[in-house]
Amino acid sequence: MLEATGLMVFYENMLALNNVSIKCEDKQIVGVFGANSAGKSTLMYTISGIMEDIRKKEDMAGGERITVLGQVRFLGRDITDLKPSKRAREGIVLCPERRRIFPECSVMENLRIGAYLATSSQAKDTLEYVFKVYPPLERLQKRVGGFLSGGEQQMLAVGRALMAQPKLLLMDEPLLGLSPRIQSMLVRSTKEIRDEKGISIIVTEQYARPVLPIVDYAFILENGAAVLEGPRDEVLDNPDVRSAYFGVS
Amino acid sequence: MNTEQRRKERIDRGIKVRTDGLYAVMSWRELSYLTLPRIVLIVGLLILPFVMPSMYWQRVISIVCIYALLAVSFDLLAHFVGLVSLGGALFIGVGGYLSAIMNTSLGFPPLLAIPIATIAGAGICTLLLLPCLPLRGVYFAIVSLMYPLAMTRVIEALDILGGTDGIMGIDSFPNRWVEQYFVILMVLLFLFGVRRLVNLDIGLVLRAVKDNDQAVRASGMSITLYKAVAVFISSAMGCLGGACIVHIYMWSGMSLFALDFSIIPIAATVIGGAGTLVGPVLGCLILVPVSELLREFGTLRIVFYSLILVGFIVFRSEGIMVYGQRKYHQIERWVKV
Repeated sequence: MLEATGLMVFYENMLALNNVSIKCEDKQIVGVFGANSAGKSTLMYTISGIMEDIRKKEDMAGGERITVLGQVRFLGRDITDLKPSKRAREGIVLCPERRRIFPECSVMENLRIGAYLATSSQAKDTLEYVFKVYPPLERLQKRVGGFLSGGEQQMLAVGRALMAQPKLLLMDEPLLGLSPRIQSMLVRSTKEIRDEKGISIIVTEQYARPVLPIVDYAFILENGAAVLEGPRDEVLDNPDVRSAYFGVS
Repeated sequence: MNTEQRRKERIDRGIKVRTDGLYAVMSWRELSYLTLPRIVLIVGLLILPFVMPSMYWQRVISIVCIYALLAVSFDLLAHFVGLVSLGGALFIGVGGYLSAIMNTSLGFPPLLAIPIATIAGAGICTLLLLPCLPLRGVYFAIVSLMYPLAMTRVIEALDILGGTDGIMGIDSFPNRWVEQYFVILMVLLFLFGVRRLVNLDIGLVLRAVKDNDQAVRASGMSITLYKAVAVFISSAMGCLGGACIVHIYMWSGMSLFALDFSIIPIAATVIGGAGTLVGPVLGCLILVPVSELLREFGTLRIVFYSLILVGFIVFRSEGIMVYGQRKYHQIERWVKV
């Protein structure tokens, strides 16, 4: 479904992604794990095309020069040069790190903004679905986004991404700063979304333990390079991974 | 696959790296690399009055310098403290009227009236702007824009401070050389002074206020106090400019509160390079003479002016100075990845 080959991203002279190739098959959940500064967010930005946007802004303002090399193919089409908005129309939707919900809009408004690309009947169905997967949101409809708790904000962010009718959902550190209980709830719902909606999902996380049970395929990033990849069980059995990302020695 | 696996690399020039530390004093070449840009600016400004063809253009130099003071003050507030100030006209007006009153009513000579007007005017401006300092957002811009508009109407309606005629009969500088060198030296003094300031401890706090005022507050510092200090310094620059301008024109009137004084410094900062402090001065050196040259087009010059500005924002929003610094310090080359 998505195939990114030979991605290299430079921030000025710093290599953020070094020849990373990842792929995501249809209806798969792919996990990307790595420590801070491993290049997870850069990878997400590159796939969703936001990197292109950042690059242009930096270029205009005379800031860092960002170089992006490599190729991204989605549904058999080369989308390397596509703008992020076009990619969203194609079905790649990013649920960004630290949620980035619209803090001054209500929950309902946030969701409706997300549904900008959807037809009204799609929006209606998806809204019902979002409330089914994340029941707390239904109760909080009128609350202003900025006043939600971290977990609720994360549900809202995922909900908003779902409203854009993704074929491929990119979740950048969805569990950041959440309690274990909310984490496991979010992980469960992620699997549910994949199973019921048939959406492919790429999820990044620093700590693999909560997410690994639901992923089908996993990549480990280290210092910008993909050092290890494989189906879940294979990665699970790897002693290095167990010590580095599970806290099990 | 992307066949052309090359990228353009930017690296610091060897001499830049060598002159970063103490080793700068090792050779004349490296010393001159460090000091040449500064010397060019200082010497360039100092010989400007000599190379100007006529009295008219010498007068333009003085005006350029006054705008340069305003532009540096705008740059300091906007890019080091995070307060977008549209108060150039307020500073000029307050400083100008104060100096004019002191000169005509109290009989102070210009070279005494100007410093007093600078300090007192800065105090007044800071007090006027104090209420909106604790706030974040557009409030400072709005309030600083409203004051000069209000001032003109107050002067007009109450017919105080000379009313619509303004205050006349103000002493001029002893002669035009004193006038020009006074403003030029003031620009240099404040330019290098502010550059120093933003690298001192207080400058660090000011930049922190810009980045995240809550974190500064959490560190136990009063952001209002620090903002007030910054506003005092930059309004002092503006008031100094205003005080000079009334002695140059020998007249003080409502046009001191004209919005030109708020807008042109901002335009100059955009063209020159935001956050560089030198850039705004360069921007004024370009913009003000250009607007003088365009004077024969009448009001149409605003159109040219806007076009220049839009062009810069669209094609080089970094500004001349940022671009120039990069070219000076770094080389670019293509490398294979």
